[in-house]
Parts: sequence; C-alpha cells; structure tokens
Amino acid sequence: MDRREFIKWCSLLAVGSMLGGCRKLPFMGDAAKKDLPSLKMFEAEVRRAMSKPSHRMELVRVPMPGRLKTLGASLENRFGMAIDLDACDGCGKCILACIQENNIPLVTEDEAAKGRFMHWIEMRGGVPFMCAHCGNAPCERACPTGAANHTPDGLSAMMYKRCTGSRYCGANCPEHARKFNFNDAVQQGLSLKFNDKVPVRSKGVMEKCSLCLHRLQDDRLEVKTAGGVWRGRGVNTACAEACPKKAIVFGNWLDPDSPLVKVARRRDLYAPADLAGLDPSIVYMMGGK
Amino acid sequence: MVRILFIVFLCLLVPGLASMGYSLWQGPAAWSVDTGVFWGLPISLFVFWIGLAHAGTLISAIFLVLDVKMERRTSILAELATLCALVVAVIFPLMHLGVIQNFYMVAPYMESRGSMANVCSPLVWDFCCILAYGLLSVVYLVVHVLADKSAVAASIHRPLAWLLFPMVLWVHTIVSLDFAATFVPAWRGAFFPIYFIVGAVFSGLAMVNIMLCAEGYRMRQLEKLMLVGSWFLGAFLLWDFALKGNLSVTVLVFAVLLPQLMFVSAVRESTLGRVLVSSSIIVGLLLERVFLVFPSGVVGFGWVDLGLICFGFGLFGVIFLVARLKLSRVIEGEEVLMGEVEETVPKRPATGRFSYFAPLTTPEFRMLRFPLLLGIIACTLFLVWVVGCLEENGIAFSDANLVPLTCPIITTVAGIVLCLRPLVMHIGKVGGVVMVALAALLGVLAGMVYGGVTSVPSGAVVSSTGDMLDVGTLPDSTSTLDSVAIIRTKAVFEARCAGCHGADGRLNEKFVREYYPVPQNLDISRMDALGEDSLVNVILNGRTNMNPYAGRISPQMARGLVRYMRLLAETPAADNAARNEGGDE
Amino acid sequence: MTPLMSSLACVMALAQAFFLWRGKMHILKEGLLLFGFFCISCVFTLLVGSPDDPQIEHYPLRMLALCLCFSTTSLPRYRRRYLVMAQAFWLWVELFGGIALAYRGIEFAWARSLAIFLLCCSSTLLSRISKEMEFCLMVFWIAIWILF
Repeated sequence: MDRREFIKWCSLLAVGSMLGGCRKLPFMGDAAKKDLPSLKMFEAEVRRAMSKPSHRMELVRVPMPGRLKTLGASLENRFGMAIDLDACDGCGKCILACIQENNIPLVTEDEAAKGRFMHWIEMRGGVPFMCAHCGNAPCERACPTGAANHTPDGLSAMMYKRCTGSRYCGANCPEHARKFNFNDAVQQGLSLKFNDKVPVRSKGVMEKCSLCLHRLQDDRLEVKTAGGVWRGRGVNTACAEACPKKAIVFGNWLDPDSPLVKVARRRDLYAPADLAGLDPSIVYMMGGK
Repeated sequence: MVRILFIVFLCLLVPGLASMGYSLWQGPAAWSVDTGVFWGLPISLFVFWIGLAHAGTLISAIFLVLDVKMERRTSILAELATLCALVVAVIFPLMHLGVIQNFYMVAPYMESRGSMANVCSPLVWDFCCILAYGLLSVVYLVVHVLADKSAVAASIHRPLAWLLFPMVLWVHTIVSLDFAATFVPAWRGAFFPIYFIVGAVFSGLAMVNIMLCAEGYRMRQLEKLMLVGSWFLGAFLLWDFALKGNLSVTVLVFAVLLPQLMFVSAVRESTLGRVLVSSSIIVGLLLERVFLVFPSGVVGFGWVDLGLICFGFGLFGVIFLVARLKLSRVIEGEEVLMGEVEETVPKRPATGRFSYFAPLTTPEFRMLRFPLLLGIIACTLFLVWVVGCLEENGIAFSDANLVPLTCPIITTVAGIVLCLRPLVMHIGKVGGVVMVALAALLGVLAGMVYGGVTSVPSGAVVSSTGDMLDVGTLPDSTSTLDSVAIIRTKAVFEARCAGCHGADGRLNEKFVREYYPVPQNLDISRMDALGEDSLVNVILNGRTNMNPYAGRISPQMARGLVRYMRLLAETPAADNAARNEGGDE
Repeated sequence: MTPLMSSLACVMALAQAFFLWRGKMHILKEGLLLFGFFCISCVFTLLVGSPDDPQIEHYPLRMLALCLCFSTTSLPRYRRRYLVMAQAFWLWVELFGGIALAYRGIEFAWARSLAIFLLCCSSTLLSRISKEMEFCLMVFWIAIWILF
C-alpha cells in the first residue's frame, strides 16, 4: 500500500466513523418528532423528583432584604419571596404550577436516573428551593457573555439568546439552583407549551427561576402606559398562587405596603447558609409571629 | 518506526472521532458531567492540553531568556508540539459549550445590540489569552524556523521570546483562575496560579522528554528539571490536602512517587525507562485534572469520555507527526532521527553574551520598546473603552477584573508590530496582496460580529389581545397621520413598543436591560437616514435588535408606527411628557 | 496572621535566602533547597495562620517569592535581570492570588501589588548594583512585606 492509498483509506475511515457518531443525522426530520406529553407525565415526574432522597438545607438567620447595592438598582422595587416553613407541608403543588407557568420540559429517562430534572423549584428535605435571586449573585459574575444579568428590580435574569452554555454560572452557584437544557425538549417531545407568554428554551441553554418575570413585565407595561409609579402590587408568582397553605408570599421588599413586607416583618427570616452572605431575595420564614 | 507510531495514533484518532462526532451531535449530555458543577471531561482535557501547549514555548523561551542553550532540534520540536497541543486544546472548550455557535459572544467586543461580554468572567480572560497566545506561538515558530536563513528573523527571535515568556505564564494563570475565582469549595485556592503553572511545565517537560526519546537523543537538564517539578507538584498536592482535605493518592503515585525512579540509574539510562516514567507523569497529571473538574467524584465514565481522551492523543499525534515529517528538513540531524545521540550542549561563548549592558540598553529592549509602547497605548485605549461600555450598561465590575486582559492585548499588539518590519522586508507583491486581503477579511469579520445576526424569537410567537390591530384608513404616504389615527397609533405604540423604546420614543432606560437585545435609540437623524420603508420592514421582519411583528400588526399599522415615532422624535422630550399627561386625562 | 508572625516569616525568608545559589549551580541541589524551603513555609503557615483565613492559601508562595528576592542580591551575574524576575514572581503571586481571593470577598491589596510593581519597574533602571543598593532593596522588600 503506498502512502497515497494509505491516506485515502484513513480519511475514508475517519469520515465513516464521524458519520457513525452522528448516526441520528440522516434520520432526522419531522418523523422523529414524538407526540406531545400529557399533564399526567409531568405530575409523575414531579412525584419522582420529590421521592428522590435529599437532605435539608442548613438555614441561618438573615436580616430583611433591603435595597440592592448594584449599579443602577431601582429605589422603588426589589422583588422577592418569603416561604413560610411553618405552613409549608412540602406537597409539591408549587413545582407543578411552576412547570405549567414556565413551560418547563420533562427530562429523558437517562437524565431522570441521574437526578437531572429541569424543575425550577425542587424539594430539599421537604423545603421548596428555587433560585434565591441573590443581590450579589455569583452566577452573574461568572457568566462570560452577560447572559445572566441583574435587572434593576432585583431579579437575576437570563437572556437565553445570549447564553452560550458554558455552564460556568451553574458551577458557581453554591446551591446549584440552575438547570441546564441537556436535551432539545421540543424535538424529543418532552415539552408542552402550557403558557404562550414564556418561550421554550432551546438546547444547551441555562435556565432557572425567573420569578415569573413575564407577569411582572406585563404588569409594568400596563402601569407604565397608564403613567403611574410601578411597584408591582398586582402581581403574584405561579407558585405563590398555587400554594394551598399560602406559604409562599411574593412581593416587593422596598414597598412597605407589600404583603411580603407585612408578613416578613413579624417573622424570623432564614436563608441557606452558603447563600446568606450573598444577599438573597428569596428567604424562609420560621417562628416569631 | 514513524509509520508504526502513525498507525497507533490513527487507531486512537478514529474511534476518538466517532465519540467526538457523537458528542457534538448530542451536546453535553453525551459525556459524563459532574452533577454539582456541570463540567466534565472536556474541561479536564482542555487544562491538560493547554498545559502541554505551554511547555514547548515555555521551555524554549525560558531557556533562551535565561541563556541556557538548547539544541535547535530540541527547541523546534518543543515549539511544534506546542502548536499541535494548542490545536487540540482549543477544541475542547468549544465542544464543551451548550450552544457552540454562540462562542464569539465571549469576546469582549461590543455588538451593535449593545450587549457586552462580561469582562469580570475568567472565561472571557481565557478566550482573549488563548487567542493571543495561539497567534504569537505561530509567529514564534515561524520566526524560529526562518531564523537560520534570514538575519532579520534571527534579530527578532530573542525579543519575541521575551514577549512570549510572560504571556505563556499568564495564559496558564488565567486558566487556573477559571477554577480559583469561583465559589466551588474544592476549587478554592489563591495558590492555584502557581500550582497550575508548575503542573503545566511539569507535564510539558514529560512530553518533551518522551519526544526526545522517540527522536533518539536525550537532554539531561530537562530530566533533572522534571524531577524538581515532581517535588514541587507533590508539595502543592500536600498543601491542597492540608487546606481542603482532599488528596488523590493515584495522582500522587503517578506524578510524584514514580518519577523518583529517575534516581535509579538503570531506569534513567534506558530509553524505555525514561519513556515509562514520563508517561506515568502524563497519566498522573491527566488524572489530576480529571479529579479537579469532578469535585464530587467521577461517576459514569462512558465510552464517549474514553473516546474523547483517545481523540486528544490521536489528533495530537497525527498532527505532530505530519508536521514533524514536513519540517524534517528544517529540524537538523534528520539522518540520526532514530539513532542514540547525546544532546550536546554548545559551549557558551566566553565573551559577548556576558558583556554588561547599562539599564535599558540591551538590544532586545531597543527592539521592543516601540512595539511595547504601542501595545500599552492600545491596551489603555481598550480598557478605557471597556470601562465606558460597562458603565453605560450599568454593569458592576471591579478594577482588578480588568488586569487579566492587559497582558494578552499588549503582547499581541507588540508582537504584531515587532514582526511588521521584517515581514514588509520579506514578502513580495503576492505576499502583500495576501496580507491586505487577510486584513480586509479580518475587518469584515469584525464588522459582522459587530453587526450581529438576525435574532428570531425563541419559541412560538407571543400572542396577546388585539392581534392585527389596524389604524383604520391610513392616509396615503405623502401626508401625515390625522388626529384619530394618532390616538390609535399611540395606543398600539404604548402597548407594543413603549416597553423598550419608551413612551416618548427615547428608550426606556431602566427597562431595556430586562430585554435582550437592547433596542436602538431612534432619533430623528437616524430615522431620516434609514427611511420610512426600511423602518417598516424592520418592524415587520425584525432585525438584529427587533423581533418581527409581521402577523401581529398589519403593514399599514407598521407604517403608522413609523410616522408616530417620527412625530415623537421631532418633538422635544418635555413636549412628549406634556402630551402623555394630556392623553391620560 | 499577626504582625509578629509575619515579621518572623520575613526573617525566615531572609535566612533561607542565605543558602541559595552558593557555589556551583546544580539544578537538583537548588531545586531540592527551594522545595525544602517551600515545605517549611507551608508547615510554618499551617502552624501560625488560622485555618479560617483564606489569605493563608498563598502565604507560603509569598514567603518563597520573598526568599527568592533576597537571594538574588547574592548572585554573581545577571543580577538585575534575576532581581526583576524574582520581584515579578512575587507580584504574580500577590496579583493573581489577590484576584482569586477578591472573588470571595477579600479586599484586593492594591497598595502591596502597586508597591512591588513600582519597585520592580524601578529596579530595571538600576545600573551596577552596589552593596548599599542591595541593602536598600532589602529594606524596601521588608517594608513592603511588613507595612502593606
């Protein structure tokens, strides 16, 4: 075999094995699209995620969240939530409500076995946990493209279009609140579009609790068009709406009339120990009435 | 021998290609990923290969700088290995990305949409450093190869080495900051920069030693340096253990204990012994990186992961061998390729080299001062611009975060300027044309990145109330809107556009950051320059900054909106405020 | 790290520097010495520093850098070059260690880094280094170590 021949065979072999790796490629198309999942499947997945063994987070006392210290932060608004652990019984209705509000996809069997669910809210030892929208968020500092950013109103927001999927934010979150889209949910028939207002995230993008940003935006648009001062008073998040015990309270930390401030003022506030120093917007309430 | 090696590497590369293809197709779900940090083998391999990539340049540059003589064949070999390892290394962070085609967004380069890469992120520093380093390594190798024939190339060889020396160290330091500048408990360590540099140099020395064995000669100084490296790596591993309490015994055995066999003369003197010891170092350091990236333990290593490791080694071997054969005329001593030859260290010239130079008068400095000055000026301008952009966008940053960007910028500019003079002297007409073409291409690319690409809304079109609103009977294009139409258009504008563009058409500054991309500021001169038709087109079909509204509003309405925007732009802000208040009554 | 202990570390570095680059240069000998000094510095840091203080993470490296700075004054030739390089190493340790620590909320020691940087730059201007100049440099280094 001379050299030319040798190289020819080698390159053929290389191309062949490359195609072997991409073996799904030729069979792609609409035929591959699976049927849409049913709501039952989402419910089953929530039950499965909740049955996953998890340990309770270590909670420490924190003061009431105040004004953000970031550049250009709003003086009027800082949205957040408080979760009443005395009332919460860990039923998981918030998870399902969140899925339906934010079009969170199912995961494949493989991913589920690895415990990689997409749920923005998860139960950690019976305590609902979601992104705490830290005022001093480590994920935003690590994000190379600026896709993870902070809004003036205190939300840790995501620009899905700008995310390049380096997963650096996920690595840098002490509580691992961020979820990575390992699958193309639409392509694999894992996604059901419950809510038209929220886009379905594409493959390879990070996502997490958005504090129902779209609801806030809608409300803001309405109030601003009418010309008033917007304090987000009419808004509530999907999980807070769904909670049968009213354990989740959404509101504006800087608005003294907000239900959140009214409730939280009388209670002791807690946050996960490794987030306590990062100025979280979402805290837990226990004791002290 | 070469053919056998070639076949061995191909055998590694081909299955590696399969797993690479599968990974690219499947995305990060293909290989095993740590559940805590979302990172997996590609990052370990990146750190490993970039470490090897530093070794070559570092070894030849350091030795050149420190006046330790190395034979040309050794140093060129090392530099060649550097480039090959760099090619392998850049593949891994790219494939690691979830959305590979968005990788350019990591470059700290403002787009017209106004979004800036977050210069506080170590990944941005990484991107800049590797780009600059790759460019300069190529230049350095070319200069080194040419240095034999051309005096001009030889004259810039040493200055280039001085430029590269800090750059190499800088790159690996930045790689270490990817880990050290996070909140992951296992990655905490202010000593990481030096630890990583030691690891990189150490693995590089092992690689160069293996290559020298394959070429059939040896360099005792490198072997001694390798031993010293193993001690320091051991010290760092123990220090890591003392601080955080995690120690990998496998790494300690492979990378620290086994290399001590070099003290046994039977091992030291046999080629096989040297190869085995060097290989154990390579394995140990690869394992070290793997354990580093998986803080909560390595689980579920599959065929894809193994394939990726094979891919790295196979690709490196194949590229290296091909380049080695192509360059064999340049690398002297081709005829003794496989013979056993001792590396002879040339005697130092007794005079000349040791002659004393008054401060700032060395020939290298004379060559470097002008390029360096330009580099520093360029870097300062860039930083001022970046700070301006960041402040404009209200992004918080600390000055310390800008420091890592300085070295790559200064070095790149200085390196290019340094090479320009010999380049201009060397290339003929054809070369000149190619150069100009390349520069033009670069400019076009920069412009394309600046312009961005059309963004399509992710997911389906957001539908809400009032689909296909119409302004009713819109007058023909010559006249302006009548008062009824204005009120209707105003309602649509405030429902649809005001969220970003502001009710007065001057951007809702506070709100725009919640949107992506950041909308344009529509002032009168800009609108006139664009023309009504093109603006209607933008509203209907979208552009960089805009989502398309065709199907949600009628073309007539779009035209009405454009005219309304013009109306807003014509009136001063105060009037608009008054008009808004009037409208609300 | 208490001021007393950091002065002790400085004295240790000075003592270690005394043993470096004596007689003929052997890679293995000098490497072993440096390795030994580094280990001693690590043990010293562990004994003296509080484990909760992240600043101890690169303390042994800082000691090693200081030791290298001191040792360059006794080199036979190329003193200026190695002087600058040793200080650059120190700057490196401080600068990048500082950046890594800054992410965890420890304030970046601008004064120290800047002082080393300035000293590093100005020592490139040194002509033949006299005994007095050596002494001056040492005083500067000790001052940076203890004061900033």
